[in-house]
Amino acid sequence: MLKGLGNVVVKELKELLRDPKILIGMIVVPLVMLPIMGFVIRGSIESTEERLQSLQVGLVDFDHGIIAKSLTDFLNSFSTMTIINISASNVDEAVEILQKETNATDLIVVPSGFTENVSKGDPENYPVTIEVYSVFTGSGGIAEAAGSSVVSGYLEAFKRRLAPNPFQTVQKSIIKGKPSDVPPGVLFSIMYSQIFALPITISILLVFSMQIAATSVASEKEEKTLETLLSLPISRFTILFGKLAGSTIVAAVGAIAIIIGFNYYMGSFMVMGDMGVSVDLAAIGLAPTPLGYLILGASVFMSLLSALALAIIISAFAEDVRGAQSVVGYLNVIIMLPMFIIMFADFNSLPLAARIVLLAIPYTHPMLAAQATLTGNYLTAVFGVVYVAIFTVALLYIAAKLFATEKILTAKLKFRGLRLRKKKS
Amino acid sequence: MNVGLSFAVVAENLVKVFGSIRALDGLSFKIKRGEIYGLIGPNGAGKTTALRIISTLILPSSGSAKVYDYDVVSKASEVRRLIAYLPEEAGAYKNLSGEEYLRFMAKFSSENNEVLEETVRNAAVISGLGDRLRDKVKTYSKGMKRRLLVARALMTKPKLAVLDEPTSGLDVLHSVHVREIIKQYVKKHGVAVLLSSHNMLEVEYLCERVALINHGRIVAEGTPEELKLENNVENLEEAFAKVVGLA
Repeated sequence: MLKGLGNVVVKELKELLRDPKILIGMIVVPLVMLPIMGFVIRGSIESTEERLQSLQVGLVDFDHGIIAKSLTDFLNSFSTMTIINISASNVDEAVEILQKETNATDLIVVPSGFTENVSKGDPENYPVTIEVYSVFTGSGGIAEAAGSSVVSGYLEAFKRRLAPNPFQTVQKSIIKGKPSDVPPGVLFSIMYSQIFALPITISILLVFSMQIAATSVASEKEEKTLETLLSLPISRFTILFGKLAGSTIVAAVGAIAIIIGFNYYMGSFMVMGDMGVSVDLAAIGLAPTPLGYLILGASVFMSLLSALALAIIISAFAEDVRGAQSVVGYLNVIIMLPMFIIMFADFNSLPLAARIVLLAIPYTHPMLAAQATLTGNYLTAVFGVVYVAIFTVALLYIAAKLFATEKILTAKLKFRGLRLRKKKS
Repeated sequence: MNVGLSFAVVAENLVKVFGSIRALDGLSFKIKRGEIYGLIGPNGAGKTTALRIISTLILPSSGSAKVYDYDVVSKASEVRRLIAYLPEEAGAYKNLSGEEYLRFMAKFSSENNEVLEETVRNAAVISGLGDRLRDKVKTYSKGMKRRLLVARALMTKPKLAVLDEPTSGLDVLHSVHVREIIKQYVKKHGVAVLLSSHNMLEVEYLCERVALINHGRIVAEGTPEELKLENNVENLEEAFAKVVGLA
């Protein structure tokens, strides 16, 4: 019944595996991309582990009693943690000293009356609470809030030595140098949601726009309209910039849609059900400011422009729309790679080499700018905008050169030719 | 514009090399004002390459070509103002209507709205497409599309029309229509046409002078009658076969 099946299958395999687009897309890309991602994320995890092995924690003792002293000694007995005693008259002052004078990631606040109330052994009538403040870094990576969990673990161990549940611990945050009642877990959830949403949206926009730009040049070739267009009494630059402007307008609409959507998206975090705590992001200083939105918009727009110029250059070498889209498709790797890494790893804890490589990729910058809108670290974002702008100007220069010569008509990517030449050599 | 010169095109010793292929190998010809000049040759002879060089799309590897005394390399933008190029496999933007396409193209050479409207009206007459100009190009047959493109090439009254296989893919009736348009256009405006064709009947009907081209060189040149007489044959096809040693 299936006579000749083997013959057909062999033919199919030859056809598919000899198509360089399929070979690169299906086999080479996953073989290269996944190990790179694994390497980078492992580096991030190792760096976080190292940090947790030498945790610096501030402690402000408003009690000065014997149990408070015993707690300090207990915490100091662990080699993986360094306790820095802070003298302050209130929590605000303690936080200020912690931020200015130490590199500590957490602050333990022992309240006045701690020893007295714990000694009574009646937590229902004499409740005692130790507050643990965690410095919010805004990285969103796996290291975020990890310190506070470790500190809580040590406090639990101390509790078990005293009596059944002699005091409570409450986790709080330090946001932009100010103490806040919002637990780090809630902030981590916000960051995590934001870190998933925005890079994915930006990546989709970049990929989509590149396909539009690539199609706009390649379809001129495929529909045989390019020759006529190039013979008209208009400059080649006019044609190039006309194409760029058309794609840019579409891309700009996309960038504006992202910013508006992001604004609404952040608005939806006014109430976080995660821990039953209401969070007003604006009140705790985590809602992006107009300047933040402006920088994010500029970063997204500039990256889009560079992506469009790159797509136009590459599609000029393709013979038809399918070819252009396939080649541009390979570029998705340099968009997706930073997206995945920033989603799953803390950028700042990555190995230096990985950070340099990621920063060299222009499409990393809008994703970092998205984080900066929350943390207020605008300098990195502005640097990114400037870098991508320089990159874009260079690309535009190459595109203009390409359009000014006959290469726009005669240039072709020849995988088959390359392979044959290699064999011959 | 030096349109008063007697020669519309002067090509001298044109050479074009693509990698290991020598597409043109010392091609020289002259086209007078008001003349329809034809390049005839087999596939790969170099006809399209020559037309693309004259149309400023590609650069010659060596040699020179001038259009109304403007060099196609150093004065490419001046040349583009004088010419209209119709590629063999040209297409039109399929999501525009025929009229929108003509208007888009006419805007590049129209100084004001009056000229623009006149140009589009002119194109409508040349194409003979009537009300179908309001329809999108993607609904056109191959013949209709070619008529639209011929109209586009001639509507601005270029001083030199470079037409690569102007009746390519057209049936007999459409071909007759297009040939008539070209002939009338030259007669009316006294300008020049450089065309290439496989169709010897078409060349005999249209061209005052013809160049037989093979392996990037001109192997014979003259009026169709001269070529037939010189080779003692009945038609240009036979003349060509004889010249290149096939008969």
